[in-house]
Amino acid sequence: MGTKFNEIVEITKEFTQDLKTSSLSDEIDSLNLKYLGRQGKVNSLFKSLPIKSDPKIGQQINHLKKFIQTKLSEKLEAALSVAGHQVIDVTVPGIPILKGSLHPLTQTIEEIESIFKGLGFVRRRYPEVETDWYYAEGLNIPKDHPARDDQETFYVGENVVLTAHTSNGQLREMEYKKNPPIKMINIGKTYRRQFDASHTPMFHQFEGLVIDKNINITHLLGVTDYFVKQYFGPDRRTRLRPHHFQFTEPSFEIDISCGLCQGTGLIGKTSCKICKSGWLELGGAGMVHPLVLRNGGFNPDECSGFAFGWGVERVLMMKSGLPDLRLIFSDDIRFLNQF
Amino acid sequence: MNIIITDSSLRKFLETPAKAESLSQNLSLCGPTFDQVTKVGDDFIYNIEIITNRVDTAGAQGVARESAAILAQFGIPAKLINDPYQDKPHFKEGLSKQFHFNIEKDLVVRFTAIAFENILVKPSSRETQRLLENCGQRSLNNCIDITNELTLLYGMPSHIFDLDKLASQNLHLRESHRGEELTTLDGQKNKLDGGDIVIEDGSGRLVDLCGVMGGSLAEVDNHTKNILLIVPVYPAKRIRKTSLSLQKRTLAAQIYEKQPDPELCLPVIFKAIQLFKERTGAEVSSSLYDYYPIIRPPKTITLDFNWLNSFVGIEIKRETVISILASLGFLVTLENERLVCSVPSWRYHDINIKEDLAEEVARIYGYFRFPSILPCVNLSSEPKNLLLEAELKIKKYLSNIGFFEIYNSSLISHELIKKTSQNSDELLNLLNPLSSEFAFLRNSLLPSHLENHKRNQGKFSEPLRTYEVSNCYQKVRGKELPHEISTLAILSNENYRQAKGKIESLLDYMNVDDISFRPSQFAPPFFSQLATADIYSKDILLGQIGLLKPSLLRNIGLPSNPIAIEINLEKLCSKINEETDIQLVSNYPYMLEDITITSDKPLGELIQDLKSFDPLIREVSYIESYRNKHTFKFFFGSSSRNLDQKEVNSLKGTIQKHFSN
Repeated sequence: MGTKFNEIVEITKEFTQDLKTSSLSDEIDSLNLKYLGRQGKVNSLFKSLPIKSDPKIGQQINHLKKFIQTKLSEKLEAALSVAGHQVIDVTVPGIPILKGSLHPLTQTIEEIESIFKGLGFVRRRYPEVETDWYYAEGLNIPKDHPARDDQETFYVGENVVLTAHTSNGQLREMEYKKNPPIKMINIGKTYRRQFDASHTPMFHQFEGLVIDKNINITHLLGVTDYFVKQYFGPDRRTRLRPHHFQFTEPSFEIDISCGLCQGTGLIGKTSCKICKSGWLELGGAGMVHPLVLRNGGFNPDECSGFAFGWGVERVLMMKSGLPDLRLIFSDDIRFLNQF
Repeated sequence: MNIIITDSSLRKFLETPAKAESLSQNLSLCGPTFDQVTKVGDDFIYNIEIITNRVDTAGAQGVARESAAILAQFGIPAKLINDPYQDKPHFKEGLSKQFHFNIEKDLVVRFTAIAFENILVKPSSRETQRLLENCGQRSLNNCIDITNELTLLYGMPSHIFDLDKLASQNLHLRESHRGEELTTLDGQKNKLDGGDIVIEDGSGRLVDLCGVMGGSLAEVDNHTKNILLIVPVYPAKRIRKTSLSLQKRTLAAQIYEKQPDPELCLPVIFKAIQLFKERTGAEVSSSLYDYYPIIRPPKTITLDFNWLNSFVGIEIKRETVISILASLGFLVTLENERLVCSVPSWRYHDINIKEDLAEEVARIYGYFRFPSILPCVNLSSEPKNLLLEAELKIKKYLSNIGFFEIYNSSLISHELIKKTSQNSDELLNLLNPLSSEFAFLRNSLLPSHLENHKRNQGKFSEPLRTYEVSNCYQKVRGKELPHEISTLAILSNENYRQAKGKIESLLDYMNVDDISFRPSQFAPPFFSQLATADIYSKDILLGQIGLLKPSLLRNIGLPSNPIAIEINLEKLCSKINEETDIQLVSNYPYMLEDITITSDKPLGELIQDLKSFDPLIREVSYIESYRNKHTFKFFFGSSSRNLDQKEVNSLKGTIQKHFSN
């Protein structure tokens, strides 16, 4: 019994001595072999134990094994470090990759697209230079309607305009699909003859169109709510106000509750600067006019639909608080660098 | 359009305990939107947005009708009072004053007039003055104020002439001639385009720019004793044209553009008579003149309850439907399962189909009561839109490797077209540009980018690298619409190899097959012919990369000499290989050797030749050149065995011998 303890003490002593005299990694590797290898001293000791020996001895040998392992690995790390190169001032500045930026409009369009994709809408792109039929006549906007005054619409030919809205996609989509159902989002450039803090001659709109059997006003509300909560946040509310557009009947103006004053219209005791009594205008929507369905080759007695056309810049500004639309079209890299 | 009325004027037609706040909030939800409510003394001023097809709400009386219908749905008692349509106007016949109108065809919908005598012109009462001022109008005198007040109350414009200033009692309402002049009440002398509706006083003088603004010749002043009052309705299109072309957007013009109800003319004249008597001491001096050439046939629309419920998406009780329509002035009768609705005269133009009736019911019932339900509409499989996917993928890639995305206007100036030596005949131009700055649709994105770089001079310390993805517009002969081509443009202040390397990486990332760069033959005019390559995928021309002409950089005022790239993304997408071709890699390591070759061939060609020289050459990468000595790194290897150094050395020797001049 005693001899085994003695042996443990002896090995410990010998190891301590060996460790002192070894400093190179090779030497440490050979100590590893000498003590912990398959034929090493520790293993030999284990093997020499009788079957029914005192469990305490086994424990002692295990202690010895751990002791040797720890010491050796400490010594090995030290030896490798001395050999060079492992000390870093971790506070040194990193070397950056030169980054560019994705324009906020692209980011917004991507977000809009992905929200509607989640509802099963398919994204489309339809012409930005368009004939009168798709742009106006076919949308129930007759030749003499004020909405077509050249005050607001750019013309490139007697019968060809730059689209002032994305609704031309409605008839195009109906022609393309030929039959219900339709569930699309058309995102594109639009143009109007206006230029001030809230209008630029070119801007972007997204147009949603859903047509199927038994589509009704509650569905328009459902999709609107979904978009508003996804894009602006779960605590935002929507409301419909009656409005008039030639290509929808009924038509609505959609408002969302203001995020700044939480829809109260008040900041403290003064009225909120960015909204009208707690509400912000999102844009127009409505049930597709039966004449438009007919013009698209659909039978209004068999299907119905809703449509909406909202401004990409508008939702971006509403969310980001950018004060001036013209900023979005700034080419100043210092501005764009923030996105 | 917006109108301004006061709470007190609204309550002339409305009996309700509802306070201004609840009234304005509830109406905004179901009817006209109250943009602003301002308290003034013990009154409120309402700024109300009138929906374009609802000219019947352009006065206090119309708003009151909406209020009565809407408040009832909120459980608030409300009653329409003093409804002019309930009046039975009557006029004296056979009075002494005679005048005659000669009205040309199609110039009026209805024209009513009456004369007054013994007028005493003086300032209006404080009450009237306050009403007009609260509504943003100037009080002038008791007579003119009456006409303005009537517009506020009934949404129907009217006009008065000093009868003694009219040369004869024979007035001629006609189209203006081109170049005719008319001085309006605002003191402006207007040169008319022709086709405007005007009244001539019988001596060749124009006294009214009808529906827009009165003429100054027959203006009512402090000495006026006799007045002619007219309450006409003019055809909307003509008034709009005159109002827009002379830039006189008066309230009257805006109302006439929206087709007010001709049935309102007599009630308004009747009310005017009462006010003139009360406020000016006047007596009616003529019989009523009423020219109403085409009386509109009655309009009825049938509404099926089942259809209504399925269209609006909720079930609304029949009694509710009937009471809502009745409160708006519809005469409704139940026939079987359907409601036959007779449209009131003031809604003649905006109610045409059953969907219009559905709107009336749904909005008064309250959209806020509607649940929000996602539709169960599912599309069958849709083909992938490669282009839209590619655009986003390209944008993200470029932005991640240091390029800034810019959105420029598709509309460019003639000046920029000239500066970039393009031919403006090849570009689509706007017929009605907003300014010369936005006059043409671009067919290249690069000119705008040159301006972007010019404007960013000195603003950014790193080399400027920008890109844009947008449509270019290309005229197509024989077609009405241009070709809209999705295009990528890059302008980069790097050297050619750096820029080219990035575009190569991009094309590789996009999996575009078999790219080659060839000395350019098809570059747009602003590229330098000596330093531009056409980029091909197999035999399809995708675009260009190269330097721009120095003269153009000078025209723009750009001191740097950036690399320009423009790529047609439609073409690029046609060459995207959607199937990734996976090849097994060799288990045997390559042996790498640097070899310098002296050659006068273009590098691209030389590298192609080197690569195809021997099957053991797996890859050749370019390192550098000194004059015509070019150094490459060769990767030698075989997929079936290890090479030995001797074999490689011998191949190296053969290459050098074969390729050096």
